[in-house]
Amino acid sequence: MSLFLSSTIDQAYHQLAEIEAELKAAMAGSKKVITREEWEKKLNDVKIKKEDMNKLVMNFLVTEGYVDAAEKFRKESGTEPDIDLATITDRMAVKKAVQCGNVEDAIEKVNDLNPEILDTNPQLFFHLQQQRLIELIRNGKVEEALEFAQEELAPRGEENQSFLEELERTVALLAFEDVSNCPVGELLDISQRLKTASEVNAAILTSQSHEKDPKLPSLLKMLIWAQNQLDEKAHYPRINDLSTARLEDPSV
Amino acid sequence: MPTSASASASASSTTATGPNSDLLIRLNSPDSQVQLKALRELKNRIIGNRTKKLSFVKLGLVPAVAAILASKAQAHSHSDHDCNLLVQSAAALGSFACGFDAGVRAVLDAGACPNLLLLLSHPDDKVVDAGARSLRMIYQSNLAPKCDFLQDKNMEFLLSLLNSENENVTGLGASIVIHSCETITEKKALCHAGVLKKLVSLLQGSPSQRDNSLESLATIMKDNDEAVSEFVGCESGRALSSVIELTKDRHLRTRFLASRCLIAIRNTSSCYLQDMGIKTKLVHLLLELHDDPGQVGDEAPFAFSSLISQKVDLQKIALEANAIDKLYNHLQKNHLHPKRFQGLLLALADLCSKLESCRSRFLSLQALNLVSEALTHDSSDVRTAACICLRCVSRSIKNLCAGNFMNEMIVPPLVRLLDDPSISVQVAALSAVGNIVVDFTTHRSLFLQCGGVKQLVQLSRSMDSTLRLNALWALRNLMCLADYICKQGIFMELTASSLASLICDPEPFVQEQALALIRNLVDGCMNSVELVFAEDGIILDAVGRQLQSASRDEIWIQGLYVLSNVASGNEVHKEAVMHQLVPQADNGAQSLILKFLQSNESQLRIAAVWTIVNLTFPSTPNAFSRFVKLHNAGIVSQVKSMASDPCLDVKLRVKSALGQFKTFSDGST
Repeated sequence: MSLFLSSTIDQAYHQLAEIEAELKAAMAGSKKVITREEWEKKLNDVKIKKEDMNKLVMNFLVTEGYVDAAEKFRKESGTEPDIDLATITDRMAVKKAVQCGNVEDAIEKVNDLNPEILDTNPQLFFHLQQQRLIELIRNGKVEEALEFAQEELAPRGEENQSFLEELERTVALLAFEDVSNCPVGELLDISQRLKTASEVNAAILTSQSHEKDPKLPSLLKMLIWAQNQLDEKAHYPRINDLSTARLEDPSV
Repeated sequence: MPTSASASASASSTTATGPNSDLLIRLNSPDSQVQLKALRELKNRIIGNRTKKLSFVKLGLVPAVAAILASKAQAHSHSDHDCNLLVQSAAALGSFACGFDAGVRAVLDAGACPNLLLLLSHPDDKVVDAGARSLRMIYQSNLAPKCDFLQDKNMEFLLSLLNSENENVTGLGASIVIHSCETITEKKALCHAGVLKKLVSLLQGSPSQRDNSLESLATIMKDNDEAVSEFVGCESGRALSSVIELTKDRHLRTRFLASRCLIAIRNTSSCYLQDMGIKTKLVHLLLELHDDPGQVGDEAPFAFSSLISQKVDLQKIALEANAIDKLYNHLQKNHLHPKRFQGLLLALADLCSKLESCRSRFLSLQALNLVSEALTHDSSDVRTAACICLRCVSRSIKNLCAGNFMNEMIVPPLVRLLDDPSISVQVAALSAVGNIVVDFTTHRSLFLQCGGVKQLVQLSRSMDSTLRLNALWALRNLMCLADYICKQGIFMELTASSLASLICDPEPFVQEQALALIRNLVDGCMNSVELVFAEDGIILDAVGRQLQSASRDEIWIQGLYVLSNVASGNEVHKEAVMHQLVPQADNGAQSLILKFLQSNESQLRIAAVWTIVNLTFPSTPNAFSRFVKLHNAGIVSQVKSMASDPCLDVKLRVKSALGQFKTFSDGST
């Protein structure tokens, strides 16, 4: 998977370097103008295989956990995923459990999947336990929350200074009457659950020897970067709207 | 909410010891459903939780889990329920052993290893995975038993692991190699059995197999040039190129392990990877890996050290890559993990070990303040590393001359470390003291005020020979070019009798340092020469005895310089030296000095001729009679025969000796 992508990117870089060289030659204070025709001709010279594009899509579906879509896409395009689709289901179950606030359930599922994940990721384990504490506080179980913090989280804080600071921040939730409107209130936000869920998701992917981030977004980031670099040197047909990828005429 | 309900149940149940012992009862239950539930609960409670692991180990839960594993592993039943029991018990044992030595010991003591090994040939993949994972955890600890690769059956077993289709099992194989492979014989046996080739093929495997392979390859190739040349020749160089390629991998750990593999190759065999490009690349890569907040970042400074240690060219590249500033920035961070702290100090030590330019950059950053703080760190490893760093930085003659190390910030904490409970801290502190007392100004007093001399003298009487050696070395440097008051003070603390016994120490290295110390003591004014005649000349006698009985050039050289320095004194001093060097009665024995003049070691010849120059210095009253004695012992003719000695220094001294001899001949004829 990584091979085909890097060759595509290499090609892109190569093109970029060519353009830069031309620009340097032509640069005399003013920016060069590249017309739509010239630009499209250059783009057409870059050959990208359909299968590579399909792999990129499959990589996105698998990494993000769209198991049904991945299955359909596999049948339609004949693209084989680089991971057993069944493992996606397990991973999604864990992710969903965290998103719903069933953290203990999520922990047990991760441990069934691979006991090493939480044993060798102290930070992830702490964040899951912290999320458990947040859920207890959310449900108004103050005594249980305190007991849990003392029993399970305090020892982790002793092992690691930054955990201790995070723990203090979390326990601070108990000090406010109106938690929705306090300085650490964001911990109760749904975004905190999503953050924890995506951290678990990434750890499971890594344990399955899989990239934790899909490749598509980073390619888009590279596109934006390349355009920004080019902006300083030339006027050319730019992609402004990533969702349509329409080439805008160069404005001079 | 069902989750919070169960969370509350477990949260409240953990406060009393009752439910824990209840777990033990349930693990021992005759009902295997109860056992299974208990195993799962235990596993979920200990994963990620060291405190729980420790308390359950203390409650004796490990043997109970091992018993379930044993009964099911040996029963060969493949029912789902039994497989589940195997998986859960193996996982629980693996978690006990994960990163926790007390747990590893309990699992080993419970005899779980042979049963975990049985799981590797189980038909159910899940069981195999669980067994392999747990064994890998155990083999990551130093406590795990070493696998003796020199036994054929063990080698076969290892190969069967590495040839497995299961990723966890090949991972286990790699862990066993990393853990057990130590001696060069073992490393060679592994290569001959084809392990290296197998590992090379695993470089093409999954990311985790690749990482395992890189780490094992580095282990096997370290100090093993046979393996290095086999590896470099592998697949006509493709194996090496793929490792070089992996230093650009997206995974941080892979980049790190690939660089360690390349460092092992470079350090073992000087004919590979010597071009500027790869050197620069490795320096930059390792510096970049320091930024990782995790395990790679903790280990990066150690790998960096092994890359640059003793290699001036790499230290230059590192300096140009801003390494000192970068490492210093990491060192400034709060709450550093002790391992990382230690690594950073050692890396800085290596950087400053040879190049003055590195030392001055280091000192210009005021980095010494951080090193001084590290001298009082809780971890003995950090304290040791701080001392080693101080030792390397204080090799700067320029800064020594300026007295930049003899100050309130460094000396008092350093002297306190001489009394540290850890011997390695003491030795490292001594080595730092040894450098900073080489002081050309008058700052020695601060060291004396802090009780440094008392500590050093005490350590010179330690039972540990390394401590004696280093204490004497520090005292020797302290004595160097010191004034008489200072020398006398140290001498009174040391006493003549204990110096005499150190000259005759059982360890030759200690003998050498003791003699070198006395050489510095008697170097200079007449009063200090007088000191070696204390207690009826016990020191001088010991020196003479050592010159007779020793068999090492280094000892002779130092001993002879002692006599040479004493011979620069007054008539009594000179006669005493004659007494030691030239036999009184003509008993046919060859005089010692003749033996040294004929030595192959030029340093020894220099010292011998110098002694003769001092003994025959013309303006002294008895010079002529000593000349006659030397002449009769055949020494004068020996010196004459050395007029064209191949060593220039010897030649020069011989010239001045012959000049002095001439005045006697002129007078006598």
